Amino acid sequence: MRTEVKFSSKRFLMTLTLCACSVILLQNGSLPQRSSFLCRLAAMAAGLLGCFLIFLPSIWLRKRGGDVFSQSLPRAARYAAAAVYTACFFYTAEYFLFPYTDMFCKKYYPDTSPCVIALILLICCVYAALRGANVITRFSVFLFALAMLTNLLMFGGSLSSLRFYSSDLGIRGGFSGFSQSFLYFLTPSFTAVLFACLSGYTRNFRLRQPVIALALTGVKYALVLFFIAFAVGEYALRQEYQTFVLSRVAHFGAYAGIERFYMALSTMSVFMIVSLLLCAMCRSVDRNGSRGFTAAFTAAIFGAHMLAVYRPEVREFFTSPLLLVGLSVLTAAIIPSVMLIFTRRGHNV
Amino acid sequence: MNYSIKEIKARLQAQFSDSADLTVRELTLKSSGEVRAAVFTLEGMVDKEGLAQAALNPLLAYDFGRQTAAQAYCTIRDSVLAASDVTEISETELTAFLTSGFAVLAVDGAPELLAIGAQGYAFRGVSEPESEVVQRGAREGFTEPLRVNMSLIRRRLKSPDLVFEQMTVGKKSRTQLMLCYLQSAASPLLLQKLRDRLRACDLETVLAAGYLAEYLEDPNTSRLFSGVGISERPDTVCGKLTEGRIAVIVDGTPAVLVVPHLFVEEFQGVDDYSNRTYYATLIRLIKYLSFCVSVFLPAVYTALAQFHPEYFPTWILIKTSNSLSKTPLPVTLEVLLITFVYEIMKEAGLRIPKSLGHAVSIVGALVIGESAVTAGIISSSTLMVVATAAICSYVTSPLYPPVTMLRLVFIIIAGVLGLWGIVLASAMVMISLCAKTSLGVPYLSSLSPFSLRTMRDVFVRAGWKRLSRHTIKVQHFAETEER
Repeated sequence: MRTEVKFSSKRFLMTLTLCACSVILLQNGSLPQRSSFLCRLAAMAAGLLGCFLIFLPSIWLRKRGGDVFSQSLPRAARYAAAAVYTACFFYTAEYFLFPYTDMFCKKYYPDTSPCVIALILLICCVYAALRGANVITRFSVFLFALAMLTNLLMFGGSLSSLRFYSSDLGIRGGFSGFSQSFLYFLTPSFTAVLFACLSGYTRNFRLRQPVIALALTGVKYALVLFFIAFAVGEYALRQEYQTFVLSRVAHFGAYAGIERFYMALSTMSVFMIVSLLLCAMCRSVDRNGSRGFTAAFTAAIFGAHMLAVYRPEVREFFTSPLLLVGLSVLTAAIIPSVMLIFTRRGHNV
Repeated sequence: MNYSIKEIKARLQAQFSDSADLTVRELTLKSSGEVRAAVFTLEGMVDKEGLAQAALNPLLAYDFGRQTAAQAYCTIRDSVLAASDVTEISETELTAFLTSGFAVLAVDGAPELLAIGAQGYAFRGVSEPESEVVQRGAREGFTEPLRVNMSLIRRRLKSPDLVFEQMTVGKKSRTQLMLCYLQSAASPLLLQKLRDRLRACDLETVLAAGYLAEYLEDPNTSRLFSGVGISERPDTVCGKLTEGRIAVIVDGTPAVLVVPHLFVEEFQGVDDYSNRTYYATLIRLIKYLSFCVSVFLPAVYTALAQFHPEYFPTWILIKTSNSLSKTPLPVTLEVLLITFVYEIMKEAGLRIPKSLGHAVSIVGALVIGESAVTAGIISSSTLMVVATAAICSYVTSPLYPPVTMLRLVFIIIAGVLGLWGIVLASAMVMISLCAKTSLGVPYLSSLSPFSLRTMRDVFVRAGWKRLSRHTIKVQHFAETEER
């Protein structure tokens, strides 16, 4: 297990950007149908601003040389922090894994069991997690290239389908639509938790980097929203996995099949996120990490995934954006804020 | 301590177990007293004519008068021997010098022994390496003797900065090797790592440079791709030395190991730097494309034919399904079968005498190709896909072993899991490559960790004016991060 590494903060934040963009890859009808494109865009801007605010306590803590798993904390506090962070990472892993296997079995291979897909994917993730966070961030460079290619094909292939109607450009949806969209666009805040956990190892960190990361995420979101609204239209909004639908309708003359690139991108994204989360989980419970912890967490994720497949209430639980955002706020903002306050008091004393 | 010829002779005969190639030429020197000397050599390792001219003739002709053994020894060392390389040695070094082709002169009662450089064994001359043929570069390749290889490098880098550092490996073979580097360019840290790894090599015999490659690899990294470069061309090695790399020249091998070795180097050739930049860039891109085609084409074909035929364009779909429907095997087995048959033919082609090569080609092309398709055992589309992948794999010939392995693994995975399996397997390979390091330098350097400045010589080959603006040393890629 090689989690004890320092790596370039730029590369790490690019990885987080990719993670954040993965939310939209696996988007599963979380956006309200009634709200218009502009309304969603406003919600997106507000949501990403919220994400940035959630980032801030961890950044400040990092600047002060603090660490959420600092050895100077009392043992009980360290255990409590480890439990909360592990729970958060566990939930996030399920939050991504379930929609992925669900989409995979519904859209690509209807005869396949989601559990088999999850198992194979998790085995690959264990391999990556054992290589360490540094290696995963290196891998993200190639994933970034694949994301660029896929997005280029997806958006380029949808250009010919663009249809603008004045009604689409109006503002409709109301406060409930806005708040639902806002909650959805807050989901990338889970990246702030990863940052809080793993950032102790990055170097050359600058505040502008999360800004750039969130800005890139915003551009990707805006483009996807734009094309979903104007290239696919109402049809997409009634469908599950709207980004998949966008990739399916994209074509260059007689050449279609861009959903295969989308499948490759979403597979690799989920693979990267879950691997990174496994690294972070091991880091939460043991600074040096271990194969045993990785195996145990993987088994737990798989068990929970099986439950989610067969029990709808568990599925509801694991796919709730509200819970994900709540856990992210707790772990990325509240706990580091508390630590900041105590650190300052300690300094003052 | 004064040496006695009798004792030395007895000790050497015991040490070499009375080996037939140990020769002793005893001489009585011209003097008023009786000064005796002996020349010890190993048969076949010494140039006899040269030794006679440089040592034996002058020794026998010189009149030592009333000199004692010690005085005669000094006279021989300073005035008699005409050899350019004469070294004073002790008895402990005697075996090492003898086995290296030196003649050793002992004067009865003298305090030291003299090693005379008169090596002369038959070796292959400098010729163009067959595995690294170039269009515009030099036609010289490394050969077996260490010293000749050293001179090939020294002739190209006439700088006092160039250092050859001698080491010996192999408990039995006592193979000599030279670490070769530019003092100002090579990283002392990497050098020390390399020395430590070579010292840790516990092989009994080292008969080729390849034996050591495994010992130079970083521990706990994937061995699918090699983290140790190998070249038979002195110009290639010199180019790499200027970038801070270290060469390991092993005696008896016409190939030189170079570390650290990066993935992108597999796509760079000597010709790239002689050709026009736009053409060199085109060739680079073709190489990258060929690599991808050779690894993925049969697997993607298998996945599409078996699971997703709808992704074939209609005209290809009609032809492919027509062709596949006539064959008895499932497409995965068919692709695997042809790949195996191709590998067998390739191995046969490599091992058989050249005169039989044409026969194998005809049998391969006519019997396996034409007849199998006509008989309906294999489909023409599958044959074409495998053949294309095989040809593409030769474009980056140093990567042939990993490419072949990956191709086979991907075909099997594609046959079981389809395109999704290929995606996952690719992710695993990428992770393993990202984790790989060569002497601590990330193997995928330039690409990941990404470095924009060094991209001028990765997918594109920038002009010499731009390339020479900043010399990029390989240690720049080495992360200072704690692992």
